[in-house]
Amino acid sequence: MVKNKLSFRVYMIILVFILAGVSILSMAWGQIDIPLKTAAAFLFKSMGIPVLTDVPVSPEQQAVLLHIRLPRTIVGLLVGAGLAASGTVMQGLFANPLADPGIVGVSSGASLGAVIAIATGFSEMSMFATPLFALCGAACAVILTVGLAMRHGKVPMMMLLLSGVVVGMLLAAATAGILTVVNEHKLQQYLFWTIGGLDYRRWEHVLMGIGPILGGIAVMLLMARHLNVLVLGDIEAKAVGLPVVKYRLGFLALAAMTTSVGVCISGNIGFVGLVVPHMMRMLIGPDHRYLLPASVLAGASFLVLCDSIGRVIASPSEVRVGIMTALIGTPYFLYLLRKTYTTTR
Amino acid sequence: MMKCVLTAEKLSVGYSTDSPVLRDICFNVNKGELVGLIGPNGAGKSTLLKSLRGILKPLEGEIYIADHMASALTDHEFACLTAYLQQDVHIAFDYSVREIVNTGRYPHLQWWEKEGIEDNKIVDACMEFTRVADLADKSVLEISGGQRQRVMLAKVLAQQTPILFLDEPSTGLDIFYQEEMFRFCQELCRAGKTVLMVVHELSLAARFCSRLMLIGNHKVMKDGKPEDVLTEEYLTEAYGVPVRVVENPRTGHVEVYTEPNEKNPERKALLHVIQSGETEDVHGKE
Repeated sequence: MVKNKLSFRVYMIILVFILAGVSILSMAWGQIDIPLKTAAAFLFKSMGIPVLTDVPVSPEQQAVLLHIRLPRTIVGLLVGAGLAASGTVMQGLFANPLADPGIVGVSSGASLGAVIAIATGFSEMSMFATPLFALCGAACAVILTVGLAMRHGKVPMMMLLLSGVVVGMLLAAATAGILTVVNEHKLQQYLFWTIGGLDYRRWEHVLMGIGPILGGIAVMLLMARHLNVLVLGDIEAKAVGLPVVKYRLGFLALAAMTTSVGVCISGNIGFVGLVVPHMMRMLIGPDHRYLLPASVLAGASFLVLCDSIGRVIASPSEVRVGIMTALIGTPYFLYLLRKTYTTTR
Repeated sequence: MMKCVLTAEKLSVGYSTDSPVLRDICFNVNKGELVGLIGPNGAGKSTLLKSLRGILKPLEGEIYIADHMASALTDHEFACLTAYLQQDVHIAFDYSVREIVNTGRYPHLQWWEKEGIEDNKIVDACMEFTRVADLADKSVLEISGGQRQRVMLAKVLAQQTPILFLDEPSTGLDIFYQEEMFRFCQELCRAGKTVLMVVHELSLAARFCSRLMLIGNHKVMKDGKPEDVLTEEYLTEAYGVPVRVVENPRTGHVEVYTEPNEKNPERKALLHVIQSGETEDVHGKE
């Protein structure tokens, strides 16, 4: 499925419009219903675009929009974009459409970090404690995974995959071990963290995530051409003069860092990094210079859309976004597996 | 005056020092030569090619590529001097033909650059030369094996290197694609490129290559003009079975074939076991 550059532009424009539309939806939907028009007017006003200036925004609406909905939406956009970009990079690195950042131990490491923060009580002292511990956990897990897979200065992808699985199981066991000795309140706290959600996300979360996630995405976009060569395998990459190990570890670090920062500010959210890149590859083709930007936009839209639906689907209570992405992602993933299986066998 | 572009000096290659695949190899290759590496399966032709290209580290000895010591070249410098066509490339995603050929431009771009007008021109010319220009926007997963090999050749050419290493570029292709592949290489060598290729089709090698290297018994058994290498004596020794070489009087081409094994009573017994359960009536006897 190969698309020319013109249709790439068309897709990008459509994706930007979807992104804008989904953002307005996310601003409007929720426990306090705000008309779409008001939400749009607020967004345009805060971006300084002179559209819909005649629509009044009441002080209560203003407060809800500015302090609750806007940070929540921005965190959703950032995390969605970061997860989708990392997923695209991981699928390219492993030359496997079913890879996602979790396979090098990012999510299990972050979970262990979070559970340690909760069990030791650090999470009660500062709202930054759990994210910080989760980030350290994720970093340790990735370093352990890569360290185990490293042989004579080379990182064979099969070894990386296997050591990722082993490290993931080990850390999950450690997490479970800690959970068996903590009290019920802490158990609840962990459970709440592990099912990723965007509720109660404030500007502090935006501040924590915006730098590393946008930075990570920017570097990935710059390096996209190298990923195209890396996908063809070690020998092919070396034959055209690409320093394989250096670039492979660099991409791995970028994807792991972006994912873990996302996980830190919103908990574990699955399927975005798996499904979105795959969907975009079917539309745009596998050239990462086009695939990556499309995945970034689509991932951001997908996560915020899932969050918005989760807010209204079981109103007045909320379905957390980690559950929503799985609910929407699982059927698609199963369909994908069946399809790949029938075409390759 | 012939210009030497590739030298192997006391080269030992393989995967472990205890049992090298090839030992103490010395040869020079001059500019414009079309060298065919021949020999039985597992003799070490691909291993030698990989070592010459720097993908496998030589166990001993040194390789010189256009007066540069190979062990001192960086990945990038190596890629500007030599290109390498793998035996079998696994392409996971449905890249277009053009996207694959584009990757050949990699060593000529800075890390932040994208292909410019000049690069596109070169890529177009390479696809035109290997006759795949009309497939440019097709997916590499949808084209035939013969077309795919031509695409990979175009990719290797887009790298614009003086030396090409091709590992079995014509294996598994039909006669038309096989001969075309050899003809492309011959044209390239006449234009001044140097090609080393692993070949299994001995009569094609005899027709198109300017020089053959027969590899077997952990060494280069014979190196020279095709008619000097393709003799019954050398081939019989290398392949370990009686080999006959005859000239076809109508075409003037060399034909190579193995003498059939003498009738072996053990094989008859084996056949009897293989066929023992056979019944023509699949529904069984009434």
